[in-house]
Amino acid sequence: MKTLRIKAIAFAIIFAGGFSAQLLAQETARDIIEKVYNRSEGDDMASNLTMTLINKSGSERVRKIKQFTKDFGDMEKSIMFFVAPADVKNTSFMNWTYDDASKSDDQWIYLPAIKKTKRISSDSKSDYFMGSDFTYDDLGDRKVDDDTHTILREETIDGVDYWVIQSTPKDEDYMYSKTITWIRKDNFIGFKKEFYDEDGELLKILRILKFEKISGFDVITNSEMENTQKNHKTKMVLSNVQINTGIPASKFSERMMMRGL
Amino acid sequence: MRTKGLTLILLLLAFQFTIAQNPDISGFARNYTGVLFDNGDFAILQNTFNLNISKMGDRIAFKANPLLYHYNGDSLDLRLRELYVDLYFNNFDIRIGKQQVVWGKADGVFITDIVSPLNLTEFLLPDFDEIRIGVNAVKFDYYFGNSTFEVIGIPVFTPTERPAAGSIWYKQPEFMAPATFDWSKADVKPSLGNSELFVKYSALTSKIDFELMGGYTWDDNPAFHVTKQFDMSTGKPVLTGLNITPEHHRLTVAGGAFSTEIKGVVLRGEAAWYNGKYFQSESPLAKDALVKKNYLHYVAGLDFNIGSVKLSTQFIQQAILNHEENMVDEKTENTMTFLARYDMLRETLHLELFSYIGLTNEDALIRPKITYDFEDSFSILLGSNIFVGDGKGQFGQYKGNSMAYIKLKYSF
Repeated sequence: MKTLRIKAIAFAIIFAGGFSAQLLAQETARDIIEKVYNRSEGDDMASNLTMTLINKSGSERVRKIKQFTKDFGDMEKSIMFFVAPADVKNTSFMNWTYDDASKSDDQWIYLPAIKKTKRISSDSKSDYFMGSDFTYDDLGDRKVDDDTHTILREETIDGVDYWVIQSTPKDEDYMYSKTITWIRKDNFIGFKKEFYDEDGELLKILRILKFEKISGFDVITNSEMENTQKNHKTKMVLSNVQINTGIPASKFSERMMMRGL
Repeated sequence: MRTKGLTLILLLLAFQFTIAQNPDISGFARNYTGVLFDNGDFAILQNTFNLNISKMGDRIAFKANPLLYHYNGDSLDLRLRELYVDLYFNNFDIRIGKQQVVWGKADGVFITDIVSPLNLTEFLLPDFDEIRIGVNAVKFDYYFGNSTFEVIGIPVFTPTERPAAGSIWYKQPEFMAPATFDWSKADVKPSLGNSELFVKYSALTSKIDFELMGGYTWDDNPAFHVTKQFDMSTGKPVLTGLNITPEHHRLTVAGGAFSTEIKGVVLRGEAAWYNGKYFQSESPLAKDALVKKNYLHYVAGLDFNIGSVKLSTQFIQQAILNHEENMVDEKTENTMTFLARYDMLRETLHLELFSYIGLTNEDALIRPKITYDFEDSFSILLGSNIFVGDGKGQFGQYKGNSMAYIKLKYSF
């Protein structure tokens, strides 16, 4: 069984919603990134996720997930149910993440073949999620002050103005030497993000292809991560997004992991 | 045969009913071929069809999981892994029917995980979902906060399945004289008084997951009551034969398990106390060559990562309390397990090494395997089961059964 470790997929790094473009000229790159990170997400969300893994010859493999997330104040709980492919069907994954930065995530996986819920380590953030081009860290929340941020330049693409911000990790052992993010000035939504490997070479490019206004929140519903070194990519489509529907707290429990969808 | 016929009819009816309900259907078809290193004989030639049929509503759910095994020579073995109905309420669930129950935190060993008996006809080699036998039971789960209180009633006792004589996994017990078996007491008569009862309290919290369990059960393994026959014609007693009567006995079990994460390492533990288990003894004072002892079985384990390699190790000890010199079993038996797993090529190629290492008898079972997913629905697995030892111990006794095998699996 493949190991699965991830939070509900929300693109914290490159997504902002609910902010108006009121950034003052003197604000720094950190201020911009903070606005991107500290977005309003709603109290809960349910959605279907489809990941299409495309290799360099063009052949495709599809992974489908049903996911639920709920904010509990000082912690956020999420639960995922794997729908496809067949060999991981009914596998479920639960994550509890805490506002307290000193507290690591709690994660469990339920494997239906062996009918067992196992606590797993949240220590492998550089591993790739289900064979995709997204690492667990790409999909989770990264703290603003984990990186040093610098405005490289401003660009206008197709009539839209962007800040181009470089983020360099303070941890020298981090899997990326730097990332460069294009952030729209009018709504703080990311347009593109480049990931550079430990040698400073371009490794991956994340492109946001579509975002939608759902229940008053901007949600990225179509994106693509391309590994430029290995020439393969992953398309990620979010559908049937429902926000603030009042998902009960009991949804995020071992009982529901075992019961499934 | 009659039971299998009835099972087949019930399955067909269930299948017809569920198809009409637009159920969820999944499963796999698998070919499994194994060759012994020693002589090139086929250790196994097996085709398997596994079908999961389920339907879940807000208040009720249904599941049927038949497995059909086809062996060389066209013999068929139809097994019903599970067939149950779930009833969902606000704070509790009830599951009625044939079901597999898995308890505990240990991997590959069965300590508090004693509700479902085991099918050991191919030793410990089958996948763990296939090694457990479903039991007819009523399971009640009450939920409060992050805790669950579970009660399981099993009206009919099902023992562990052992390899039949003639199987490469059957080992003829050694006796000091010709033995005659009397199987008249081997079965536990189905009755309310002979039913089994298990309870468990478990919690899954941010700091630690734990379980506390108790069981009033039957020992899955029968005790061999031995009476000796002597020839007194020479004036001196000469042992001429043994009458052996296998009989299951009641067992009371209490135990617990936990798992927690400390700095990226998952620490697991599990222990069970077996009260009044029968063990063989060669003492002339032992009635029926048996002594009744309390018994402790526990495990401590770690799961951790080095880079992208997933590693896991466990130490397991079985200890007989108030051990006597003439007992056949050792006072303690120590075992370790080791697991390393690495996924590569975008999780299409999986390398795994799992091993049991018997510390007491210096034997081992080493299980390397490599799996390649040609596509999401089709995989090929190449593996080997290597038994190491000098003929003693639970692994070393099978030193002639080391094998290479291949599994082709189509999932749907």
